[in-house]
Order: sequence, then C-alpha cells, then structure tokens
Amino acid sequence: MRAVAFAARSLVRQPARALLGVLGVTAVGALLFDMLLLSQGLIVSMGDLLERTGYDVRVTTTAELPRTAPPLERAAETVASIAQLPEVRAAIGIRFVDVTIDRPASEPMRGVRLQADQAITGTLQGVVGTAHPWSLLRGEDIAGSRGTRPTATNSSPGLTGAIVPPEKTGDSGSGTRDSIGSSAAASVVVNQHLADALGVEPGGTITVNASCESDLDVLPPVTLHVIGVASFPFELSTEKTVAGDMSTLDAACGGNGRDQAHIVVVTAATDAGVAAAAIQRLRPELHAATNAQMLGRIEQGGFTYFRQISTVLTTVTVAFALLLICVLLTVSVNQRLGEIAALRALGFSRRRVVADVLSESVLIVGTGGLLSLPAGFVLASWLDDILKRMPNIPADLHFFVFEPGALTVHVTLLVVTAIVAAIYPMSIVARLPIAATLRNEVTS
Amino acid sequence: MRMNSVIVDASHVTRSFTMPAGTVTAVRDVSLQIQSGEYVAVRGPSGCGKSTLLHMLGAVDTPSSGTLMFDGRDIAALSDRDRSLLRLRQIGFVFQRFFLLPMLTAAENVELPLSEAGVGKRDRLERTKELLDYVGLAARADHRPSQLSGGEMQRVAIARSLANRPRLLLADEPTGELDEATGAQISALLDRVNADGTALVIVTHDSTLAARARRVLMMRDGRVESEHQQ
Repeated sequence: MRAVAFAARSLVRQPARALLGVLGVTAVGALLFDMLLLSQGLIVSMGDLLERTGYDVRVTTTAELPRTAPPLERAAETVASIAQLPEVRAAIGIRFVDVTIDRPASEPMRGVRLQADQAITGTLQGVVGTAHPWSLLRGEDIAGSRGTRPTATNSSPGLTGAIVPPEKTGDSGSGTRDSIGSSAAASVVVNQHLADALGVEPGGTITVNASCESDLDVLPPVTLHVIGVASFPFELSTEKTVAGDMSTLDAACGGNGRDQAHIVVVTAATDAGVAAAAIQRLRPELHAATNAQMLGRIEQGGFTYFRQISTVLTTVTVAFALLLICVLLTVSVNQRLGEIAALRALGFSRRRVVADVLSESVLIVGTGGLLSLPAGFVLASWLDDILKRMPNIPADLHFFVFEPGALTVHVTLLVVTAIVAAIYPMSIVARLPIAATLRNEVTS
Repeated sequence: MRMNSVIVDASHVTRSFTMPAGTVTAVRDVSLQIQSGEYVAVRGPSGCGKSTLLHMLGAVDTPSSGTLMFDGRDIAALSDRDRSLLRLRQIGFVFQRFFLLPMLTAAENVELPLSEAGVGKRDRLERTKELLDYVGLAARADHRPSQLSGGEMQRVAIARSLANRPRLLLADEPTGELDEATGAQISALLDRVNADGTALVIVTHDSTLAARARRVLMMRDGRVESEHQQ
C-alpha cells in the first residue's frame, strides 16, 4: 500500500478530525484565495475598465487623476490640435460640472415624486465633439438626435463622434464633427440611476441647476430633453449622470462657455506610447498618460492599501492554516506512536513513515484547497458587493478579480503550507525511538 | 534454509539508558547465540531487561557496548535504512498489543510488509491468502481488527510477521493480553511456526508457553542468570 493510499485510510479512520482539517483548510484557503484576488483585483479591474473605454491615452493638466486635476483651457483648440497629430487617430475632451437635477413641475414622475427639498445631485458631462464616452442602453444617442454621422474610421463606442480630422477619414465635410456651439444643446442622455431616481425615460425632460465655478453659483435652471439612457464606464455606483455635448454644458452654465475640459481622451493611430510622446511634445505643459501609466498613477494613489491589507491577511491566513494542520497532524501522530513504532519494527523505513505523515498533510490541504476555490469565489462575490457600496467607487470596478496568476500563487502557498505544516509531526516520526516507544506502549 | 547456523551472535552486550535520575542499565554483559530453527524463551521478573534484549536481537535497538551480529553483520554498524531492511526481510515481530492497523482489514494488515518489501500485487495477494489460511483466518480476511477477537488479532499479527518469510521471529508476551484458552491456541500456532523452520525467541511470563521452548533463559537484573535446555 503506497503512502498516499495509506494516509487516506488513516484519515478515514478518524473522520471527524479529517473533516475538521479539511473544513479548516477550506475556510482558510477561501480567505487566502480572496486575498490573492484582492491584491491585484482593483488594478486588473481598473486596467480592464480603461481598456474597455476604447481610449489609449488620457491628457490632463497635472499628474493627478482625472476629475481631480484642474481643467485645461482652450479645450476645443487643444483637442483639435491633438487630433491632427499623425500618431493620433481621434480625440475628445470632457468637462464635468456638479448639478442638481429635477423634473419640471409640470411633468409628474412615474413612481415616487421628489419633494422640493430633495433635489438630486449629480454630474453633467459636456463633450468636445459629439463624442460618446458612454454606451447607449436605450433611446437615441446625441449624435443621432442631431443628425450627426458617426465617424466612419472606427466602430469603437468610444470613438463615435470623436474629433477626427477630415484627412484621416477622407471626408470633406467637417461641420458635423466638431459640435462646439451646436444648436441641439438641449438633448442629453442620462444614466440608469438617474432615470430610476427621477422616473424619466427617453422623450422626457429634466431640469438641471449647474455649479460651474463654485458651489455658490446661482444659475437659472435649464431644461434638457432626455433622448437616451446610457452607461458610463467610470460612473460611481450611485452616481447620477447627465451627458451631452459641450454646448449643452455651456447652456447649463449660463451661456458663458469656458471652453475647458478636465480630460482629453485619445485613441492612438498605432502605439499608445508613441501617441502619448507625440502629445507631450506638442503640449509639454500637459500630462499625457497611457493606460499603463494611468494605472501606475492609480496604484500610487491609494490602491496599494488593498495590496498591503491583502499581504497582511494572506500572511495571517497562511499562518493559521499552518497551525491548524500542524496541530491536527501532531495530535494524530502522537496518538499513533505505538503503531508507528510497530511498523518501524516490522521493517518500515523512516522515509516511509515520514512520507505517510506528509501524505496526510497533502491530502487534507489538497482536499480543503480544492474546496476553497468555489468557496472563495462565492465569498469574493459577497465581499465585492459589500466593498462596492463604499463611496466614490465606479460601478464597473471590482475589488476581487480572478487571474490565473492568483490561482498559481494559491496552489503554491497551499503546497508550501502542506509541507511546512508537516515538518514538526514528520520530525516526531523520524526521531521516534522504536524500542522505547514499544516499551512505553506496553507499560502505559 | 540453513539449519543449525547462527542467526544472532551477541557478545558481552550491555544496554544502558541515560535517565534524569542517572544511568540505568537494562541489559548487562549478555552473550548468547540464536541458531536457525531454534525455539528460545526468555523469562524473568518485570524490568529485568527481557524486552530490551529482545529489541536488540530484533535490530530495533543497538547495544551500548558489546557486539551483536545478525547473520554475520554487526547491527550497530548498519545504517537505519539497512537495519529497516534487515527487519523487513529477516525478522518478524509479534507484540503483546498486536498493533494491527485498525483502518485496514486483516488481509491488508498481513499485506503491509509485503508491500513495503516491493512484492508485486499478485504475489502479495497469493501470499496473504496463504498466510491467513495458515493461521486459520481465511474466512476473516475482510474483517477489520475491531471485528476480531483478541486471539484472532494475534493470529493476524503472527501472519503479518511471517509475511516476508523471516528467519527469526521475535514475540514479546504474545499471550499477555489473552485468556488461557486463547493463549494456548496462540502457543500452538507458534509451535507450528517454529516447526516449519523459523527460529523463535519469546519473551514471556507465561510458564506454559515457556515450557514449549527447547531452551529457556532466565534473566534477573539485566543478566542471564540461568539457561537450560528442555
């Protein structure tokens, strides 16, 4: 009977203890797995989010994260000049302002009606170009409502309507793409949260009060036509978003267009790094970052906390697993010293009895480790839901993201745990004095 | 089988243990030889060193001084691995408390030393069946130790000890845990094992069992006080 089969029989012999060990490793393994998913999860998820938008380079005034950096001035000119670069396929600028949103009193909402003092706060996005940094869920899109043709050069949602110079599209018409000063300023799309909160659907109207310069702005409300409902890649889980072209935002800001953008997003013609370098040469005072560089900034900006927490909890869980298995095996071995001594007397080698103990450890950790994977996925999903309720977390961002590398580390840590946890009980067996143990067994 | 050849040759063997209260000498200056096919009983009061001597004869312990040769090889000079191999292939052990593995069936317990010795599965199964037949437990092959009586467990233990056809079988109080009638059955089985050519050294308090041996060593205070042939 080989060591593994022998160990399996030894475990079955004491099912309660074996079950306790397996359940313990399952719980600890699930936590360990989740910590590994957490250690890289935010970065992976953010990277995925950045890639999904279809943009390769983000241009801001400082190295701060978008929406926290001061806006860049002369946005239309900047966006146009960046779009002219041969390394760039297309570019759009986006400005964000805080707004309070309501329905006109003349339009009763479906569902609940907001009280007068319950105005909804949200964000109004104005876009240089009829750009779509969003995905339409239903209704019509801004460009469609204005009769603007989608850009023929790229089918990416992020590029539709972006500023694309005519020489890059082969199109002689230009008026439809740069929408600054467009006459269809009142058409907007809203996100699902806002649609739900106001009970508004495409075809309805909303009124917004914008705070364009400071929270103390007192601007007249502007009525906007909702033509579609869209999802926004970086919107927060509870964020209410209204989006339109820049002229819509200007109108909400009282008509005094500031020609600003908080960020310019760019699609590279070929390589993102080359495009970023070209933008940097063109406008040295701005900060052009590829998605990878943006991720680096984000990592430095606070995501490392999760990695540190993950590292600490990983260490604690592995230590707990080590102790659990070590105690279980040590107790098991100590209860079987007589049998082990008898096996040695019958000619079993030291290596063989040590292998039996190691096999028991591997079986417990292996079974528990296997069960820990589905348990870990369930736990990660639950924890992800809880963590995503934190403020200022984009709805599409996840804290726990599976990567093959995490599985590799998980398996490696469990294998190391199985071996290290077995060292002490293996040493008991290896150093067991056969004669003295047999004598003690008879006299005890 | 080599009859009348020396299997074990112990010369001035002493075994001492260092204890917190001082050194305890369990076996003092013992010299003896065990011949092939011999049947030796070792008797004496508790603590006189019988089991310690048996352990040294069985290569699970080594003398503090003196030499103990097994088949011409100095046991103290062997590595742990070589001593394990020697025990596996040349020596059988029967314990007072049987030490059968409770999670294995009778057949699997008997099969263990064969498996450890690298015997092929087919040969293992054949030899296991043969041994269980030999000890009269073929019908209980699939029973676990908890389903066997004390006498049956000891018979399985004897079958296990004979698995690799040892030249020397050592038994430490083999009837110590059994009633008189069952002890007599085990004694008869050991007689048969010896009659079939396996040298037997038995440590026992049981005078009936000792009376079956052809040579009896009486020990006291770690020494062989007397020796007589029967």
